Amino acid sequence: MKTMTREELWSVLRQATLVEGEMPAQGEACAPWFVRVMLGLAGWIGALFLLGFVGFGLAFVVKDQTTSWVVGAGACAAVAMLFSANRNGDFSSQFGLAVGLAGQALMIYAMSWSFEHDFTALALAIAAQQALLFILLPNFVHRIWAAWSGVFALSVALAGMGLYAFAPAIVTAGFAVVWLREFEHPLKSALLRSGGYGLALAGVQTVMMSGSLRLRWLLWNMGRRDAGGGEMVAWAGALGVGAVLIGIVLLLLHREKVALNFGPGKAALAAGVVLALASLKAPGVGPGAAILLVGYANGNRVLVGLGVAALVGYLSHYYYALHATLLEKSALLACTGIALLAVRFAMLRWWPLKKEGGSHA
Amino acid sequence: MANARDQILDWAEQGHIAPDRMRAALDAAGALPTVDQWRGFLDGVLLFMGAVLLGASAIFFFAFNWQDLSRFAKFGLVQVLILVTLALMWKLGLERTAGRAALLTASLLVGALLALVGQTYQTGADTFELFAAWAFAILPWALVARFPLLWVVWLALVNLAISLYSLTFRWSWQGIPIVMAPENLAWLLFGFNTVALVVWEGLAAAGIVWLRERWSPRILAFASGGLATALAVYDIFDWHGFSEWGSPVWLAWMIAAYAAYRHWTKDLFVLAGGVLSLTVVAATFLSKATRFNDAGAFLFIGLVVIAISGLGGWWLKQVANEEEQA
Repeated sequence: MKTMTREELWSVLRQATLVEGEMPAQGEACAPWFVRVMLGLAGWIGALFLLGFVGFGLAFVVKDQTTSWVVGAGACAAVAMLFSANRNGDFSSQFGLAVGLAGQALMIYAMSWSFEHDFTALALAIAAQQALLFILLPNFVHRIWAAWSGVFALSVALAGMGLYAFAPAIVTAGFAVVWLREFEHPLKSALLRSGGYGLALAGVQTVMMSGSLRLRWLLWNMGRRDAGGGEMVAWAGALGVGAVLIGIVLLLLHREKVALNFGPGKAALAAGVVLALASLKAPGVGPGAAILLVGYANGNRVLVGLGVAALVGYLSHYYYALHATLLEKSALLACTGIALLAVRFAMLRWWPLKKEGGSHA
Repeated sequence: MANARDQILDWAEQGHIAPDRMRAALDAAGALPTVDQWRGFLDGVLLFMGAVLLGASAIFFFAFNWQDLSRFAKFGLVQVLILVTLALMWKLGLERTAGRAALLTASLLVGALLALVGQTYQTGADTFELFAAWAFAILPWALVARFPLLWVVWLALVNLAISLYSLTFRWSWQGIPIVMAPENLAWLLFGFNTVALVVWEGLAAAGIVWLRERWSPRILAFASGGLATALAVYDIFDWHGFSEWGSPVWLAWMIAAYAAYRHWTKDLFVLAGGVLSLTVVAATFLSKATRFNDAGAFLFIGLVVIAISGLGGWWLKQVANEEEQA
C-alpha cells in the first residue's frame, strides 16, 4: 500500500484513464481518526456541562417527562438543520455535536419514565432513536456515536430477550456487510464509513462483554439470572460467529478472484476455519479477526489497528471470563496456537514465496 | 503526502471517479494489498497469533496450578518450552519475523516460569517483584533484539511493577497517609514514561532506524500526557492536599510537546492529545473558579469546551493540510 503525493496519484490515475482533466483544487484535509476521537470526547464533555445547565437552570424541563422529550427532540432537530446548513464549520460542528448529545440524553431520560419496568423495551426504543438520528444528523463523528450506541442498545435488548449469544455474530455480520460494500457506493462513502466504524466499535464491545461480570451485572439489572436460552443458544451464537468469519473469508476470496483450490485460497480458508473453531469456545476471536481481515483487505489502517487491539484486549479479558476454567482455556489457546502455526507451515508449501515483483490480487 | 485510499474515496465522492471504476483506481494507486502483501500479512498474522497464543496458554496453564502435575513436571515443561523457543530463535535469526515471534514467546514464558517459582516455593515475594524480576530477566533480550514490540512489552511490565509497588506500600510509604498514594503513583508513572519517551525519540533522532516507527512512542506520549493531565486536575482541585507542582509540570509538558511534535518531529496524534488535555484542564480550572454557583456557569464552561475543541479541530486540520502539501 503505497504513499504518494496528490499530484503523483492524479498522474497515475490519468495514465490509467481512470480520471480526466486537471487535478481538482485541494479541499480541506479529512481529519485523521484520532482528531475525530478527540472531537467526540470533547463533544461529550461539552454535552455534560450543557446537561448540567438544563438540570440546574431549566429545572422545569427535567421535572416533566413530555417537556424533557420535546426539548431533547427540539435540540436534535435544530442540530440537524445546523449540520445540513453548515457541514464543514469546525465550531458549528462541535457546538452541534455537544447540543445533539445533550438532546438525545434528554430524550432517553424521558423515555426511561415510560419504560420504567421494561428495560428491554427501553433498549429497543433507544436503538430505534439512534438509528433515526444516524440518518437525520449528517455529521461524521455523530454518526459513529449514533451507530455504536444504537447497536449497543440493540445488544442490550438481545440480552433482555435471552439472545445475547447472537449479538457478536449479528454485529460482525453487519460490520462486514457495510465495509465489503464500501467501494460499491462511493457517493455514500462517508455515510457507510461512519456506520462501519460504529459497528466496528460495537463489535469490540460485544466481545468484551461475552462471559464477563459486566454482562452478568447487566442481566441482573434486567431481572435475569443468566444469559438465557441455555447451552443450545450459546452454541448457536458461537457457531454464528464462526460462520460469519468463514463467510467473510469466502466473500473476500470471491472479491479478489482467488479460487478455493489455489494455494492462497486454501491457506486463507484454513486460517479462517481454525479461528472459527476457536470462536466456538472463545467468541471474541471471530469479531476481532474479522475487523483485522476486512481492514487489511480494504487498505484501512485504522480498522487493522482496531482489530489488533480487539484481539489483544480479548486475550487479556479471556483470562477473567467466567464460562471455563483456566485449564480449559489454556488447552484451547494451545490448540489454536499450534493449529495456526501448522496452517502457516502448510501455507509455505501451498503458496511459496515468489522472487519477482508482486501483482495485484 | 496523501493517503491514496482516502484521497481516491474523496475524489470518487466528488464525482471525479466513476463508481464502477473505483476498484480499478484503488488497484492502480496501490491502495489495496497485492498478492505478495497478502501473503506477508497472512504469514505475520499466523506466526504472531500462534506464538502469542502458545505463550498465553502456558501462562493460563500455570495460573491454574494443576495439582495432578508434579512440580518437577511443571518446571520441566516451562523450561523445555523456553529452550525450544530460544533454539528456534537462534536457528531462524532475529532478522526474520519468525525468529522475533519465537523470542516474544520466550519472553512471555519467562513470566510463567517466575510465577511458577513463586507459586511452588511460596517465596513470600510481593506481586510487584514478579513483574520487576520478569522485566529484569528479559532486559538483555530486549537490548539485543532490536524489536520495538518487545520493548513495549518490557515497558508495560515496568509500569505494572511500579503500580503494584505503589499499591503494596501505600500504607507505610515514609509515613505518608493512604490518600497520598495515588499522587505518588501518578508521579512515578509520569516520570518513568516521560523519560522512556524522551530516550526513545532521542535515540530515533540519533539514527537508530528500527526505533523510527511511530506507534510505540505514541503509546508512551499517550501515557505521559494522560498522567500529566491527571496531575494538573488533581492539583487544580487541590484534592486531599496534593502537591502544587501538577499544573506547572503539565504546562511544561504541553510546551515541550508542542515544540517537539509541531516543529521537530511532526506528529498530529500527540498534538490532538494535547488539544484534548487542554480542554480537560480548562474545564477543570473553570469548574473550580466558578464553583458551579449558578446554571450560567455550566453553560459558560460548556461553551468554552466547545470553543477550545472546535478551534483545536480547525488548527489540527490546518496542520494536516500542511503535511499533505509538504
